[in-house]
Amino acid sequence: MPGRVKKRSPLKAPDRPFIALGLEGSANKIGAGIIKHDPDGSTHVLSNVRHTYITPPGEGFQPRHTALHHREWALTVINDALKKAAVSMHHIDCICFTKGPGMGAPLVSVALVARTLSLLYDKPLVGVNHCVGHIEMGRQVTGAHNPVVLYVSGGNTQVIAYSQQCYRIFGETLDIAVGNCLDRFARVINLSNDPSPGYNIEQEAKKGKRLLPLPYATKGMDISLSGILTSIEAYTTDKRFRPNGPTAEDGDDVITPQDLCFSLQETVFAMLVEITERAMAHIGSKEVLVVGGVGCNERLQEMMGVMASERGGHVFAMDERFCIDNGIMIAQAGLLSFRMGFETPLAKSTCTQRFRTDQVHVTWRA
Amino acid sequence: MHTFHYPHLPTELSTVHVALFNNVTNSSEIRSRIVRASQLHGPDGEAEREAVNFAFIDARLICSVLHLQTAVYQAILAQAQDSLRTKTVHSEILWALNPTNNISEAIRRYGVADSTTSLIVVRISSPHLSNVQELMSRVVTGTLSPLEDLSNITDWTTVKKYHKLNTEPALKAVAKDSAQEHIVVNEIVTSTVATKSVSA
Amino acid sequence: MATQDVSPTLKLLEKSEKISQGAEAKIYRAQLHPTPFTSESNSDGENVLLKYRFHKQYRHPTLDASLTKSRVAGEARAIIKCLRSGVNVPGIRMVDAAEGVLGIEWIEGKSVRFLLGGGAEDEGDIVEDADAAKDEDEVTEVKEEDLLKEYGVSADVVMEMIGTELAKMHQADIVHGDLTTSNMMLRHPASPKGLQLVLIDFGLAYISTLIEDKAVDIYVLERAFSSTHPASEGLFAGVLKAYEKKMGKDWAAILRRLEDVRLRGRKRSMVG
Repeated sequence: MPGRVKKRSPLKAPDRPFIALGLEGSANKIGAGIIKHDPDGSTHVLSNVRHTYITPPGEGFQPRHTALHHREWALTVINDALKKAAVSMHHIDCICFTKGPGMGAPLVSVALVARTLSLLYDKPLVGVNHCVGHIEMGRQVTGAHNPVVLYVSGGNTQVIAYSQQCYRIFGETLDIAVGNCLDRFARVINLSNDPSPGYNIEQEAKKGKRLLPLPYATKGMDISLSGILTSIEAYTTDKRFRPNGPTAEDGDDVITPQDLCFSLQETVFAMLVEITERAMAHIGSKEVLVVGGVGCNERLQEMMGVMASERGGHVFAMDERFCIDNGIMIAQAGLLSFRMGFETPLAKSTCTQRFRTDQVHVTWRA
Repeated sequence: MHTFHYPHLPTELSTVHVALFNNVTNSSEIRSRIVRASQLHGPDGEAEREAVNFAFIDARLICSVLHLQTAVYQAILAQAQDSLRTKTVHSEILWALNPTNNISEAIRRYGVADSTTSLIVVRISSPHLSNVQELMSRVVTGTLSPLEDLSNITDWTTVKKYHKLNTEPALKAVAKDSAQEHIVVNEIVTSTVATKSVSA
Repeated sequence: MATQDVSPTLKLLEKSEKISQGAEAKIYRAQLHPTPFTSESNSDGENVLLKYRFHKQYRHPTLDASLTKSRVAGEARAIIKCLRSGVNVPGIRMVDAAEGVLGIEWIEGKSVRFLLGGGAEDEGDIVEDADAAKDEDEVTEVKEEDLLKEYGVSADVVMEMIGTELAKMHQADIVHGDLTTSNMMLRHPASPKGLQLVLIDFGLAYISTLIEDKAVDIYVLERAFSSTHPASEGLFAGVLKAYEKKMGKDWAAILRRLEDVRLRGRKRSMVG
């Protein structure tokens, strides 16, 4: 890129080690993570513990029950994290928690724990944007420099690029998130939610052969997924649909759940790759970082990789430890902002279901 | 007669011969020959079909050489990709020229009629076909004229009618300036011909 | 029929001059029809612009083929609708939907982006587009006034022309979807169609009657203006003024929605 001057990062190396506890619970996972920033500039994951609220097949998770799950598991997860990190609460410099976005009751149930710990141990609170958490952890784990970020999860679908202390949203879903689309379809065909519906769709898709026509809806940098969900659901009432696979009498013209999973993935992922590519072309970037639960999907990673290499670029992806919602990413993003002097006073430690990625002032980057 | 060569097109379709005939006196004869040629069997039939193996186009409906070339090119593409909608690449030109999908209407509107007086004759072939002008003249009785004469022949009223342009804002904007109007019409018509393969 | 190894359109691309490559397509300059003779005024000479939506390896081939075909078709149809509605757009010269190639009238002229002076190219605006080669002569230090002087218009007049074309387009219920100063060209006054402001690149265009879509269309241009030509921000008011004049009574509703869109920045609030 022409005229790119190496800007000095406003974040100075710390004079002593900093340790942060991060708590995450915006959806059906409750996570606690402990991260350490050393004076030599290095970052260490001391522990990353998580528990997932898994519902029976065909059911989604409701806010109330999810909040109850988080309440039930919070202390266990936190204690486990402390033990694995071999630190005590007294070593922690700050308690980071997800301020938003996410589901109301679950968010609050975790924030409550954060506030209580903050009062008990007299530690500052740091409210963190969930999406920024994903981005910062992604950058840290993969070492990606200045990538276009595709953030895809059950609750979010955005294409993001950093510019002047802001994570600008270049493109996003106009209706539902891609994870949500996949999860809902998994329910329609009664797939298990263990370990996650998305994972099971991915496995079923590998056995699919037929690409069924589905509406392809990209609108410039944005995508729309509700139409595709309606269409894929409609196929399950098609005469040719065989929920248990083809019978002996069936010819070639059958539709199996595997075919539907395959078709859904191929179409939806192509849309995601397309808007990511558009952003890359617009900015002139050669790096892609995929974050969020759907980022675990290997087919998505594969497709993104093909696109990136065609452009002479590179994809950065992570495994499920960091892709799926976790506490460590909250700790990471929180500690970065804490070191720049950011703190959330108790009175302001509320949660918000709507908290856009571009509302965060990214003080720790140039 | 003019000959255009397209090196990137398949050899047997790469050469386009175009001639404009004015004062045509045997249009009915040409038309009946075409009809008869399609009905005859055996070697006589083949010979007759070869004799009239051209596209005969009513010159009044052609706005410009570009217009014609666009239709010819799209017809050749269809032949090369095995996606002809009509029987031959020559009849495909007539189909391409017509705004609707009705093949008989295309032939009726753009092909040779008993009353046709100015004909554009097109032959698509390999570069090896020689004496094309002579082959054309055996079929058409008329005056071979330079293609530039086309600008005097175009029947803009009918062109506008067939393409349903009279109510379009583009034409209302230039209604007072006929030179401008012709430019606009030529553009719409040429673009429409090019887009025919994908128009709903 | 004899079969060829390489399709004719791809063969044509092979011997054409590649100008640029975007996310979706490669752009070439080509000679489609051989010159017939010197006196005929084919309004644009023999040059055409070929837009090649190349095969995307990451997509399933069936999906890729149908998508490419429908995009070529969509762009072509949007252009035809513009032509019929009197919007200044390039004409179409050739369509090969199976190969993903659209042949478009070659426009002799320069992009508005170039003529207004590129201005600050901030991080977000390095766009690889056809401009790079449309300015065949590498003009390095030419001032804005000199560039426009050759065209015989002032920047203000260019803004008026833009506003007018946009209004015509929206009146025909066509939304461009990607309005930037790179997607607008000034046809050189010496060309057969004369000086014109031409809208190009309808790859993202669609039909819509919604005021929201039209307001967003304008907003995208407004943002593109301020980020690419920050010194010329005052000029954009000229675009809106001419748009208002041409739009007439429909302007009020669009303006209201545009103000709305500005406030929310075309973004919606997120849910979890």
